[in-house]
Amino acid sequence: MKRVGPLLRRILVPVLSVLTALLLGGVVIILTDFDNLQKIGTDPLGTLGGAVQGVLNAYGAMLAGAFGDPNRIITALQTGNAADIARAIRPLTETLVSTTPLIFVGLAVSISFRAGMFNIGGDGQLMIGALAATASAIALNGVIPAWLILIATIAIATLAGAAWGFVPGFLKARTGAHEVITTIMLNYIASLFVFFILTTSPALRAAGSTTPVSKQLSSIVDVPNLINLPTIRLDFGFVVALLMAVAVSWLLFRTTKGFELRAAGFSSTAARYAGMSAGGSMMLAMSLSGGLAGMAGGFLVIGTVGQLSLDLSGGIGFNAIALALLAGLRPSGVVVSALLFGALTQGGKRMGIDTGIPFDLLLFIMALVIMFVAAPGLIRSIWRVRVAKPAPEIAQVSSESAGTV
Amino acid sequence: MTAAEAALTMRPEGLAARKALRNSRLRGAAFAVFAVLAGYLASRSFDVAATFSFWIDKQGGETATLSTTVGAMWVVAAIATALVGVLQLRSAEFRWRRWLLVAIAPWIAALLGNLLAGKAAVLTNVLAGSLELAAPISMAAMAGILSERSGMLNIALEGKMLVGACVAAIVGSIVSLATGNAVLAVLAAVVSAMLVAALLGLLLAWLGIRHKVDQIIAGTVINIGAVGITNFIFLRILSRATEYNSPPPVQAVRIPVLADIPVLGPIFFVATPYVYIAYAMVAILTYMIYRTRWGLRLRAAGEKPAAAGTVGINVLQIRYRALILAGLISGLAGSYLSLATSSSFQLQMTAGKGFIGLAAMIFGAWHPVGAFLAALVFGFADATQSLLSILGVDVAPQILQSIPYVVTIVVVAGVVGRVRGPASAGQPYEQG
Repeated sequence: MKRVGPLLRRILVPVLSVLTALLLGGVVIILTDFDNLQKIGTDPLGTLGGAVQGVLNAYGAMLAGAFGDPNRIITALQTGNAADIARAIRPLTETLVSTTPLIFVGLAVSISFRAGMFNIGGDGQLMIGALAATASAIALNGVIPAWLILIATIAIATLAGAAWGFVPGFLKARTGAHEVITTIMLNYIASLFVFFILTTSPALRAAGSTTPVSKQLSSIVDVPNLINLPTIRLDFGFVVALLMAVAVSWLLFRTTKGFELRAAGFSSTAARYAGMSAGGSMMLAMSLSGGLAGMAGGFLVIGTVGQLSLDLSGGIGFNAIALALLAGLRPSGVVVSALLFGALTQGGKRMGIDTGIPFDLLLFIMALVIMFVAAPGLIRSIWRVRVAKPAPEIAQVSSESAGTV
Repeated sequence: MTAAEAALTMRPEGLAARKALRNSRLRGAAFAVFAVLAGYLASRSFDVAATFSFWIDKQGGETATLSTTVGAMWVVAAIATALVGVLQLRSAEFRWRRWLLVAIAPWIAALLGNLLAGKAAVLTNVLAGSLELAAPISMAAMAGILSERSGMLNIALEGKMLVGACVAAIVGSIVSLATGNAVLAVLAAVVSAMLVAALLGLLLAWLGIRHKVDQIIAGTVINIGAVGITNFIFLRILSRATEYNSPPPVQAVRIPVLADIPVLGPIFFVATPYVYIAYAMVAILTYMIYRTRWGLRLRAAGEKPAAAGTVGINVLQIRYRALILAGLISGLAGSYLSLATSSSFQLQMTAGKGFIGLAAMIFGAWHPVGAFLAALVFGFADATQSLLSILGVDVAPQILQSIPYVVTIVVVAGVVGRVRGPASAGQPYEQG
């Protein structure tokens, strides 16, 4: 393993990080399988086999949930029966459905990181965007044509998310308040605010429901589907997410503003001496970041999910941090990692249904992924390989621009 | 430019001094605005009765009652605020942070009177409840102070508390099932929560020092991982086998003699041991940080590690030890949540308390006493919330619940005045 090509070396740490994290996740599965562990005194070999079997079952269910059964897809395509095709490809399209918000929020995290801002408020920005989209869709219902509502709600969701993201950027620039604390607090405030609106507003709340959820929005506005088959939810939000990846890449690496953002991330002092406004870059980066997360929320409520609920974000913000770091903060890498995480998410749900292993295991695995990517020395000592140093943005987000923590 | 300002510009430090003078005037003006506001509120509420009662010796016993009007309370608030404002305007060196409490206390009381709108309320439980709710926040703040004074940012308090709460619930239940001895079970639960959280503190230090992982990222790893693993354990084991999630509750302990003091006794001296530990921790840490050699070295490591290293202090060792100690404390704080609050572990039950603890630390200017007082304010906000909902006062619970988070942002943003933390917190240190 000493001589590896440059590309291979670049992806070596991410790949080994995910692999190691999944292995450790397997250890957790084994250690919490009490029924199996109780046999260890009487039947140690059987216990070992049971443990391995348990992990294989879990990850097998994950694979099947994420990608479906290739044979079945081929047979279904040959017969040409729409319902059969839909059933066979549904796992794949659902993986892409899970991938879509992850691309948006992963890009959001990458932009803020590039500018030296550690935005962990993706969940809150997404919720506020979703709330704004829901409210505007209901308010505009019947006033303007549906296709215009579609554009307006996404635009409003983006602006609302951007405003929610601007607040921590502004506070950091003006007062030095550390964005980690302010964004986390804004996450709590956003979800309480959505909770408050959903319980008190008769205009938004679904009539007769006992849980706080909004009305179904699909009768008002719906993002057009990519594949016209029953039960397939994949829609144009996915295409927009890919376009955003291109746009962010262009912004960061081909424009002056993008250069200023990255300069502020490398060294805010140097950027200031070069005549750039470090505070301006912080606010811009956080607004763009919040806007992308808000857009994700908009596409969820008027697209694949179809209504606003309290668990809409479901920890996307935290997953996005892991995938953005895994991607080395490159937009193209974000798309690839989001596909991986989308598959994990979709597969994780199936794992939960088939084997009863809670989906939340993934959150633990994500944390390990972040740890290994940020500390490649760990990967080096576990796998005995030579690895590249982490990108400087990953190595230090806070050491120079440290605010009040 | 006034004569005083002109004199200040002559001196080399003139710029900073002028800025301080300007800030001081702004602050004075803000106090004046609040005083006028309180006066206005007073004029509208002289006819609203405010009746506060306190249990004299024990809960449900006789009460001592304080009857006044909401208007009178606002008058007190207006006078106190005006007093602080005048003192502030007289001198730029005015230590307003200490005096702030003089203005805040009557404000909170008057606001409470306003919200109650004439209903009578027994305050003993609210005040005792504030102390209880402040205990874990105060402990988190102490852990934060230890870490940051040594030069390490400690975002991971939240995650360590969460894991501590989970471990305490499980160990407490198992030991209780095995031995039937509640005291032993609680001790085992607390000790194991502290040890596991200390291990996480060690992990944080190891990632930050040995692997030079950004301390914010390292903390986030622990926070996310803590949510993941505790959710997983709760859903996979605890929600199905509830006997593993029923630790013996920690009960309030009456301190003999002191608890018999009328009115004050039931508030301060009938509480869970956590509250007494929180009191003690403030005293011990204040002494340790400011009066011992260890404390001097700790502060040196956080302010100027290079200088500390030059005189032979092992900065990295100090940081490792500080983070392990902080882990022990945050584990204790976490065990409070599952043992004293609900006597079971619940999903994500910390609900931001670790971060609120950091805000208390900042508000208290990285000093244990200040942080404890700030934690009390947060605790009081929490306790009032439950009082208002019991009395059926019509405020949406989500609005009340969001108050601590809003206050935290305000505090961290330093809207109430900037304070300087340890100079080198968050900077990696290369030991030669």
